[in-house]
Amino acid sequence: MNRRRIRNLLVLALLAAAYLFAAGRLLLRRGSGVVDPGIEVIRFAHWQIEPGVREAFNEIAADYMALHPKVRVEQLDIPGRAWKQWLRTGLTGGTAPDLIELASYENPDDMLARYFTPITSYLEEPNPYNADEPDLRNVSWRKTYAAELIPSEFGHYFSLNLLEYYGAPSAMVTVRVFYNRRLVAEALGADRPPQTFGEFVALCAALQHHAQVTGRPIVPLAGSWFNFTKITDGLFSAASQRVALTLDLSHNLEMTKHEGLITYIRGRWSLATPAVRAGLETVEAFGRYMGPGWVQLNREDAMLQFLQGRAAMLVTGTWDAGGLVTQSAFPVGAFKMPTFRRDDPKYGRETLGPESEAGTFAGVPFGLTRGSRHPERALDFLRFLTCRKSNAKFSRISTWLPVIKGVPVPPVSASFRPVEDGYVAGINIRYLGGAEVLMQNMYLLSGNGASADAYITKTRGLYDRAYREELERVAHVSLTTVRQKDSVLAGLYQLERPAGLGRAKFDRMAANQLTVEADRLQNLRTLADYPLK
Amino acid sequence: MPRRTDVARVSRPVFLLTWILAFGAAATSHAAPAADEGWQLLAGYLFRDAHDAFTREGAGPDRLRALGEAASLLNAPPITAGRVAQAEARLRELVAADPADEPALYARYLLARIAHLHRPAEGAEIESAYRAVIAAGPGHPLAQLAAGKLSLLLLYERPDLKVPQRLAAAVALAPVAGGDLLPETACAYYRTLADAAMFYDVLDARVLVWLQRADAIGTRDVVAATGIRIQLAEVARALGRRDEALGYYRQFLATAVPTDNRYRTAAERMAELAQEPR
Repeated sequence: MNRRRIRNLLVLALLAAAYLFAAGRLLLRRGSGVVDPGIEVIRFAHWQIEPGVREAFNEIAADYMALHPKVRVEQLDIPGRAWKQWLRTGLTGGTAPDLIELASYENPDDMLARYFTPITSYLEEPNPYNADEPDLRNVSWRKTYAAELIPSEFGHYFSLNLLEYYGAPSAMVTVRVFYNRRLVAEALGADRPPQTFGEFVALCAALQHHAQVTGRPIVPLAGSWFNFTKITDGLFSAASQRVALTLDLSHNLEMTKHEGLITYIRGRWSLATPAVRAGLETVEAFGRYMGPGWVQLNREDAMLQFLQGRAAMLVTGTWDAGGLVTQSAFPVGAFKMPTFRRDDPKYGRETLGPESEAGTFAGVPFGLTRGSRHPERALDFLRFLTCRKSNAKFSRISTWLPVIKGVPVPPVSASFRPVEDGYVAGINIRYLGGAEVLMQNMYLLSGNGASADAYITKTRGLYDRAYREELERVAHVSLTTVRQKDSVLAGLYQLERPAGLGRAKFDRMAANQLTVEADRLQNLRTLADYPLK
Repeated sequence: MPRRTDVARVSRPVFLLTWILAFGAAATSHAAPAADEGWQLLAGYLFRDAHDAFTREGAGPDRLRALGEAASLLNAPPITAGRVAQAEARLRELVAADPADEPALYARYLLARIAHLHRPAEGAEIESAYRAVIAAGPGHPLAQLAAGKLSLLLLYERPDLKVPQRLAAAVALAPVAGGDLLPETACAYYRTLADAAMFYDVLDARVLVWLQRADAIGTRDVVAATGIRIQLAEVARALGRRDEALGYYRQFLATAVPTDNRYRTAAERMAELAQEPR
């Protein structure tokens, strides 16, 4: 027997073994959903593996199964790193669960259209699981939400291109400073969260001093690029709110990213604009209190630093709250990152006050897949999951903020509540684009030789190019969606013409296309009229 | 020995697969999908499936199907210059065969869009393509769509015109672009005029009038609707129309959606204005 034949036989044997193994597993697998045809199995998938979330979902699923004994609800928690591949494989292979968590960056329009069922009409009906709630029983499911699921550019429950709702959310998250209450009490003599940026910097200094005096290896702020941006986003914005109002081309009290980029390219502001410089100078003030080498760390490293008691504060999303509270060996407190008072001599000249968080959108929306074997049942579970009682339970166990009207915020989450009585945002140079410029030159703003001037001098040309590229990129992306709508409108026209086009989806999409196209042309006009010098 | 249910578990997928294959073969050889299926797929961003649906029906003399085929081909991946040219040729055939019917009008509109965005052509060619749609049916919704798009071209893609000329040329399209056949589109057109003026730093009484027109027509987009009201307040304020501005601020505050971050800022600006002497 020659070697080639042996190799072929080996390959065949391997294939046969793999087949037998797979067939055996299939035969021996116990699956009551299949064995008992009277049981409906509903599966829902998400990537929220933070402590507390899975437990909350499990309890709600148990409640539902107690109410409907012929239904089994299974939770699939897929780690974020594997989510994209898992999602694509499941959807294209027809093995996707009934309900899947949605995020616009994971679910482009074509994916939503192909694999998910719009739930717009269902959201306009009352949620029967609120029948015991006098104030909600006659209200549409959508209006039981605290913010009534108003479409938002950033929300993941509504597709601005498809003009349909695809998801029903369960929770809300904000960004807060989490702190080791014991350490802060030791450093300050009292557990007293800061009220202003000045007090925050003073707290950092006190913590550093405390560490030096006690000889303990503690840094005031846990650091990583991710956590750093959670601090600067608010500070950069707060330092420049009044300037932003002067750059509001469309006079609607909101300097959008589009307007920020256009006005930068027109030369109406730069990094040297005093309010923008003041924002950069805040990094000089707090950057030195982050541990050495923090730029190289990731968010998990920063969290570990905090949990091990090596850092006194950590700025992160409240999605991490459950993990921080349950895994730390010390009491954890939280406060909103304070900004500046208007009379702050260094940073307050162009500030209005704390930025409003009213626009914080409801998250963790689950969408109904077209491949669901029990769509009515899955939708029913989704209604149950988002009724007032379940949302209260979810919030209590997970510590995430509730989204349904009248659900109390758990005491532990009180400081996570969005600040609604705030002001419009200012200029956030990171949000406008060129994040890598900030990342690569951050060393000029933090540490012992920190200098906003050095940063401005070094990066001016880089931002000039980065912002132009961002405007071009946005125009390019818009071109794709605008072109697609030409085909989509042709379809809508034929479908809706018999019943009348006025105010129909055709009309609304045509209006949307016109405004998006106008923005795109403003970008191109700006790039042409203000060439790079 | 496997249980009966286990045997059923294995045999069920085999049966299903056989059934799907048989059905698929039958579908491709006999049944023609309803025309609506293609339009539904197109409306749902499923361009390739729509194209398959429109082409599956065979080469019948159905002008609507030919329109659907061209419309879907424009965005069916992979998008190439060759496929765009193919779609364009198909549309030209439609117009040539019968220039007056409904599919021909839509074909004209798509030809203008192809010239504008899918195969960028010279400004003059695009402009005349849009004007051809308007001339073919001035009281038609597609003429309103074409007029809105033409206004954008005049506002932003005619550097040979001075800013006042750009605005005047776009305003001249108002009888069609601002028509009541498509109120949402008309509202967007007036907002677009106002936004273009402000983009060019033109802030005069006309801007207020355009915004008022947009507000009067209204929109079901609640975010856009409240946006118009705050624009009215801010523009009236900038024009020195204090009382009007205060009225618009009040309207905004009364109708602002709960997720609007501008509420407190607007309230303070209104209070500041109210304290200013008349």
